[in-house]
Order: sequence, then C-alpha cells, then structure tokens
Amino acid sequence: MAGVKLKNICKRYGGGDVDAVSDLSLECKDKEFFALLGPSGCGKSSTLRMIAGLEEISKGEIYIDNQVVNEVEPKDRDIAMVFETYALYPNKKVRANMAFPLRVGKKKYSDAEIKERVAKAAEILEITDFLDRYPKQLSGGQKQRVAIGRAIVREPKVFLLDEPISHLDAKLRTHMRSELKLLQRTLGTTMIYVTHDQMEAMGMADRIAIMNYGMLQQVGTPDEIFNHPANLFVAGFVGDPPMNFINCLLEVSKDNCQLINESFKIKLTQDMLDRYNKKNGNSPAKSIDVVMGVRPESFILTEKEGTENSFPAEVLVTEPLGEEMVVDVKIPENKNDLKIKVSVDRDIKAGDKIWLDLNKDKMHLFDRKTEKALLNVRRWKK
Amino acid sequence: MSRAELVSKSAKRERTILQTLAYIGLGIFFLWTTLPLLVMVLSSMKQMRDAFEIPAVGDWSGAFMKMFDFTPTLVHYHDLFVEKGFSTYIVNSVVAATTASVISVFLGALAAYGLSRGRIKGDKHLSFWILSSRMAPVVAVMVPLYAIFAGMGLLEPDRTRNMVALILAYTTFDLPFAVWFLRTFFEDIPLGVEEAAKLDGCSNLQAFVKVVLPLAVPGIAAALILCLVFSWNDYMFASIFGQQGAKTLPVATAELHSTVSIQWGRIMASGTILITPMIFLGVLVKKYMVQGMTSGAVRD
Repeated sequence: MAGVKLKNICKRYGGGDVDAVSDLSLECKDKEFFALLGPSGCGKSSTLRMIAGLEEISKGEIYIDNQVVNEVEPKDRDIAMVFETYALYPNKKVRANMAFPLRVGKKKYSDAEIKERVAKAAEILEITDFLDRYPKQLSGGQKQRVAIGRAIVREPKVFLLDEPISHLDAKLRTHMRSELKLLQRTLGTTMIYVTHDQMEAMGMADRIAIMNYGMLQQVGTPDEIFNHPANLFVAGFVGDPPMNFINCLLEVSKDNCQLINESFKIKLTQDMLDRYNKKNGNSPAKSIDVVMGVRPESFILTEKEGTENSFPAEVLVTEPLGEEMVVDVKIPENKNDLKIKVSVDRDIKAGDKIWLDLNKDKMHLFDRKTEKALLNVRRWKK
Repeated sequence: MSRAELVSKSAKRERTILQTLAYIGLGIFFLWTTLPLLVMVLSSMKQMRDAFEIPAVGDWSGAFMKMFDFTPTLVHYHDLFVEKGFSTYIVNSVVAATTASVISVFLGALAAYGLSRGRIKGDKHLSFWILSSRMAPVVAVMVPLYAIFAGMGLLEPDRTRNMVALILAYTTFDLPFAVWFLRTFFEDIPLGVEEAAKLDGCSNLQAFVKVVLPLAVPGIAAALILCLVFSWNDYMFASIFGQQGAKTLPVATAELHSTVSIQWGRIMASGTILITPMIFLGVLVKKYMVQGMTSGAVRD
C-alpha cells in the first residue's frame, strides 16, 4: 500500500510547443480513492500514463511510496492499470488473462496459489462463470470486470483506472460506480481514477483533482469542489445542470455591498460581507466586475413579485425529469439563459412570467478578470 | 398484387439473374485455371502415345473421354528420381527456399514491429522505401548481385557456395515483402494490449514475445508461406547462381526441354512435383489470412 506524489510534473509531446501537463503537483494519500477529473484533452490521461510509466516525464518527479520512480520500468512500479479499452489479451481465456500478471511478475507464485487468487478475484467480481471464455465472447461490462480482475489478483501498491466505465451503458455505469467504490474499500488500496464524468468523480472519490489545459485547477473533497470551487472553470464543470453565471458589478463601500446588473440589484448580507472580507482581505471601496454563480437549485421561484432582491424572468422551456423539473428562463438584458431546478409539481409552463429570488447563502462570486473565486457558499458547521 | 410486392419480385429476379451470371463466370474461370493442371497431372502418368492421342475431328465427348482412358504409369517419376537425380534438386529447392523464408520472416517481423509502433521518425517513408526495393525487376539486381557474389566466391561450382548465394538472393527479395506484409499485421495489434502486458510485469522483450508475437502468428505464418512460394517458384536466380552446384527444381525442369528432345512426360511429372506443395501451402495461407485473431481484444 502506498501513496503517490507528483512534484512539478510537466509533459510535452515530441514536436509540440504546448505542455500537455504543466507544473502539476499532487499528492494522493495511501488508501485514498483519488479522481483526476477534467474535459477531454486536459492532461488527466497523460498524467495517469506518466504515473504508470507508459509515458516519459518531461520534467518533475513522481514518487510512489516515497520513492522516485521516474526511471523505473512500468513492470517494476508494482502498479496495476485498467484501460479505457480494457486491453484484454484476445488469444487467452479469461482465466489466463487474470493469471497473466501472476505468471510474468517478479514475484513467483505456485500454480495452486495462482488458481486460488484468480478464483477469489473472479468471485469478488462475479465472473466465475466466464473464466473459460475468450474476451470476444464477453459483453462490455464483463470485459471490464475481467480487466479489473486482472488488476486486483496481484494486490499492487496502486491501482490506476483510465475511464474504466465510460463505455458502459448508463444503467451499468451507475451500478459499477458503487461497486468500484466498495471494491476499493474492501481491498484498501490506493486508487487513482481518471474520468471526464463529474458524477463518477463526485460519487466515488475521496478527493478530486480537477484539471484543464494541462493545469491543475483545484484539489479537494467532492464537497469542497462542489461548494467551494476555486475558480470559474471548476464551478462551471461540476454540477448538472451546471452553475448559472451572471455578469454583475460588485459595488463595495465601507459597510455596504451590492451586486448590480441591468435586471437586478442584490444587497449582500453582513455575513456575506464578512466572508468576502475574510477571503479577500478588507478591500478598499471600489467597484469590480464579477461573475455571480448560482446553482440551478439555489433559486427561489415565485409567481408574484417577492422581496426587494427579486427580479422578473420569462420561462422558455421546462424539462420535467421525474422528481424535479429543469426550467430554462430568460432574464432581460442577460445574454445567457438560466437553468433552474424546481419540484416537478410546480405549475410552470413555457411563456409564464415569473419572479426569481435566490438563496444568498448559496451564492458564488468570481472575479471576471482572474476568474478566481471571491466568495463561495456559506459553510455550515456540522 | 401490391406495388411493393411487384417491386420486390422484380428485384428478386434481378438478383437471381446476377447470381447465375456470377456462377457461370466463376465456372469458366475455374475450368480455365484448373484444366491445364489436370492435363499436366494426367499426362505425367501417361505413356507418350496415350498423351498425344488425338481424337477424331468433331468428336468432343470422345476427346473428353480419351483424357481419362489410359493405363496409369509412374515411369516418368521413376526416370526423374533414378536417372535424373531429382531428389538432389528437390533438397536444393527446399533448403534454399526454407532458409531464405525463415531468415526473411524473422528479421522482417522485428523490423515490421519496430515500424508499426510509430516510434521511428519517418517510418512511413522508410517502409515505403523498403517495399519499393521489392518493386525492382529481378533482372535489374541480377547484374550487381552477380558481381558481388562472384567477388565473394559464391559462384564457384560448389554446392554450399551456390546455396548461400541463392539464399542471399532470395532473402533480398523476401525480406522487403515480409517487412511490408507484417507491418500491417502488427499495426492491427492494439498498443493497449502491449501496455497492459508491461504493467502486468513484462519487460519490453517479454511483452513482445509473450503477448504481441502470439497475436501476430497468423500474419507470420502467412508471410512465411508466401515467402516460401516466391522462393520455391524462382527460376531466374536459380538458373544463374545455382546452375552449377545447387540446381533447383524449376531449373532442372527447364533442362528437360533441350534442343535435341522435349521430354513431355518427365516435364509433366516434374511440374506436378513442383506445384503439389504449393497447392497445399495456398490452402494453408488462406486459412491464416482469413483468421482475425485480434478481434475482441479491445472495445470496438
């Protein structure tokens, strides 16, 4: 069992002038379920492949179990990887596929031991019935299980998973999320999981690192990522439907603070002001361009004009999703439409004129220039 | 009858006609290619007078019947082996073709693997250049090769020396083919499988030998067979480099046709000996070429 540490890692592919991964420092603790999350091309797979040793590291060091592994061959790193394509050996039966790491690895196992380990892994993954089949006779979900089985028989220091369930159908994917999480708990092994699906990362990981354009955006627990996004990118990437962004002007005076937009004027509460000052230092009185971020579920939707902060809007489309309904609304003078989540039994239809208010405790503010967070949601003491 | 039914009926008829035409075409092609072989095999077992018996004008069915109306004899085969020493020539052919093919496929597999993995700059140009060396006509390389081999003393009338010359000559032609042919096979083997092997504990060489090579077996077998066919069928190299010490089957066959006489019976027998192994190899290569061993390796 071991932790993985990345120190100022850079990856530049031959001939290119852009870093696929730039100056990435991360630490994944022992027995942690760690997710690398980001859109395609963000460098998360390159990072994983560098940890695996399949890709050369252009700059920086990678430590596994406190030892630099930059020059260590993949076979000597004592890690196992599950590939996006499963990468099973097509000419070997499932049993031989799973036994392969035990047969070629540095540590020698007796035939009886190999048999026992394969049987045990197969039992955990419920693939005992397929042991005598060839990979091409298996469904996608079964192949994926075999790939995981091949990874767990050896009890490696670290598991690397590269989008292992992204090609399964939606139902199986949901099922596999909890299974993988349970498996990680059962095995108690460090797991690094690459995905572009925020649901997977949020649902499974102990901590998440979000990347974009080869750069680390934020590392944190799912709660930190969701409720305290460090910047505009993280805020917009995590959450479904994504966070709504509205450009505003933040007017800060000594003891008054309000958000101004063509459609509304929202006064910040004393608590918000305190948190704002705490996060950004007591800022001098001035106006700054900000982006207000509000999650779809943090709006309060009323039929009549409500408080002084509420503002009018028009319903464009409604998407009922069983329990909830996503309502697309347009507010005057705002380029982007807003997505709002309400209970499905609200009587709202396209064309309705409504009033919007928002839960100020759940409001985010970002600097429009630097895109850094200025204010996040209020943290409730547990 | 509805319009849709009519349409489907006429489409069906059209398909039947096309299918019939295709079968007729294939039938003609089949006769065209196999009839000469049949005549050769039958004639190799006929006495001269049976072989040259001419049917009466207009007697078509008789012509066909006469083809099979003879007392089979193995006298020509007997003559070839006992009088002409053909067993030596067969051994020469087998040794030269097999050695050259094995060398070509072994080196070719290594080169093809390297070229297929995209780690060599300009690999596409390199493989085309390798292939283009195969496109040159045999006679174009004959003169320089002759000079080189003569300089090396490989053209002295000595069996071993001539054999080495032949093997080298065949390798120069088989190797580019093997590289080009095997490259596509290796390219079809997903890189992921090899990477998985490395993470499972294989060194680079182990990953190649234990995972990549077994998946390339159909390709390697096919390449080996095709190289064997090329070398076995060669006449040009053998007639010049092997003539004196290491005469091969095609050369020996050609010599049965001299200015004094044309020994048809023996030529037919020798031709039969020449093509029989090639027919078996042809059937084998088909089996390997069709097999898709990598299917199911990765998600499609």
